[in-house]
Amino acid sequence: MNLSYRIFYVFLRNLISYKRFVVPTLIVSIGQPLFYLLTFGIGLGAYMGSFGGKPYLHFLVPGVLVSSVMLSASFECLYGTFVKVVHERLYDSLVATPVSAEDAVAGDIAWGAFRGLIGGVLMLGVAVVMGIFPASVVSVVLLLVLMVFVGVLFGSLAMIVTSFAPNFDFFNYYTELVITPMLFFSGVFFPLDRFPEWMKTFALFLPLTHAVNISRAAFAGQVAPGLAVDFLVLVALEVAAFYTGIRLMKRRLIE
Amino acid sequence: MAGVISATNLVKQYKALTAVDGISFVINEGECFGFLGPNGAGKTTTIRMVHCVSPITSGSITVFGQRAHIDNRSIKMMTGVIPQEITLDVDLTVYENLRVFAYFFDIPKAEARKRIDELLSFVELDAKRNSKISELSTGMKRRLLIARALLNKPRLIIADEPTTGLDPQARHLIWQRLRLLKRQGTTLILTTQYMEEAQQLCDRIVVMYEGRILREGAPSRLIEDEIGREVVEIRISKDEDTRLVSELADVACGHERAGDTLYFYCKDGKGLMRKVVEMNLPNVLNRPATLEDVFLKLTGRSLIE
Repeated sequence: MNLSYRIFYVFLRNLISYKRFVVPTLIVSIGQPLFYLLTFGIGLGAYMGSFGGKPYLHFLVPGVLVSSVMLSASFECLYGTFVKVVHERLYDSLVATPVSAEDAVAGDIAWGAFRGLIGGVLMLGVAVVMGIFPASVVSVVLLLVLMVFVGVLFGSLAMIVTSFAPNFDFFNYYTELVITPMLFFSGVFFPLDRFPEWMKTFALFLPLTHAVNISRAAFAGQVAPGLAVDFLVLVALEVAAFYTGIRLMKRRLIE
Repeated sequence: MAGVISATNLVKQYKALTAVDGISFVINEGECFGFLGPNGAGKTTTIRMVHCVSPITSGSITVFGQRAHIDNRSIKMMTGVIPQEITLDVDLTVYENLRVFAYFFDIPKAEARKRIDELLSFVELDAKRNSKISELSTGMKRRLLIARALLNKPRLIIADEPTTGLDPQARHLIWQRLRLLKRQGTTLILTTQYMEEAQQLCDRIVVMYEGRILREGAPSRLIEDEIGREVVEIRISKDEDTRLVSELADVACGHERAGDTLYFYCKDGKGLMRKVVEMNLPNVLNRPATLEDVFLKLTGRSLIE
């Protein structure tokens, strides 16, 4: 791993180019989760009664928060990176400078995580407007840290897919067969308790499940011993995905 | 002059394809060294190994005393690359393209600003400072690539077919800029398919074909050795070859048939021309030998796909 502080320069390049896309991308990254909150939270929530003594929205918001981070970070490291690597050939000129291929890929993952963070913070803002507040300031800080963490995780996973994607259409397999099911099997919209055993076991293998558990606990300010497992699973996955994503992308970039 | 870049038994293997097949060369400080060859000869692959973006299969390269390899950041720090394809950042303006590259080379803020101003005027793009890349002509894009390659004040500039697709004005401007850099002592490596470009810029060239170096030397020297001074082209049916070759044997030093034309190479065209005129042949052209003749003689006159 030939990583250096130049990761930041790659991040900076993305930030400079971002000012031209900032409005459309903000609209996109807030659109889908907002749609879930409105339809599920208010529409479906009206039939749901209360969840653990609170309105359904309190259950929904922490899950949608991390899902929006997942979506933003994934899309950035799928489509965004693919355009830069294949269409714009940007990486070709990057690796001819002291920026290494590893720096470039890590910089894009960091950028994906940042986009995820923006998406998550926007969602948090929407939730607050809707009257759903995190338990405390500590909760907010924990949620922000979690968002960055989840962003790096899903950015790295997306990077693995991008490393062998022949074209844009290939990303449909990942978004439709991995990301979308994950949204429904990870306890974002409803608790996993009443799932059959095999489905509960399956959910344990989805990284989003663990992120949702932590997000919900952080949001409510309630710590439980089970969270340690969620945390360890996420850390292990994150390290593995980050390492693999960079290795595989380097193989694509350097021949 | 001291050799600052040297390659020994350099090999590049892509799965079944051997792109570079055991070549060696030495490039001196301050000279312009050209790689000539048809498409797929291995020129680009060779220079990509020199500037550390393509792993070396076997053999070695040293650049300014350091061994070249994929993770060598300090060679990249001293090298400016003008790529074959236009790899400008289309999401950024002209100025931002240079600004971002200045970050990549750790150039401090004030210094970066100063160098960008200088370089934009060096390549005559001051007026386009805040333009988008899509608003530039191909010639302007190529000039911006040159400015970008010079940001880090490189000791070595690698130009991979820098004038492909340009009109004559733009091409001459780029040649002037490259000659100016050479006069300032920068070492230049150039790949090209344009023989005129090689003759204009290069002190020494190598002709590559199928991953090997066929010949090496100064352009004028190579022409003299391989072809002679003059070429006589006769457009005539192939059936006449044997007769013409035997009749002209004592005045020509070599001949070659390609398509509808028979080429004679000679040290002095006068004797040959006198004889050809005596024979009253139609469609005859007498001209000075060029690097293009060397190139075609060595790499074949048939189409290379």
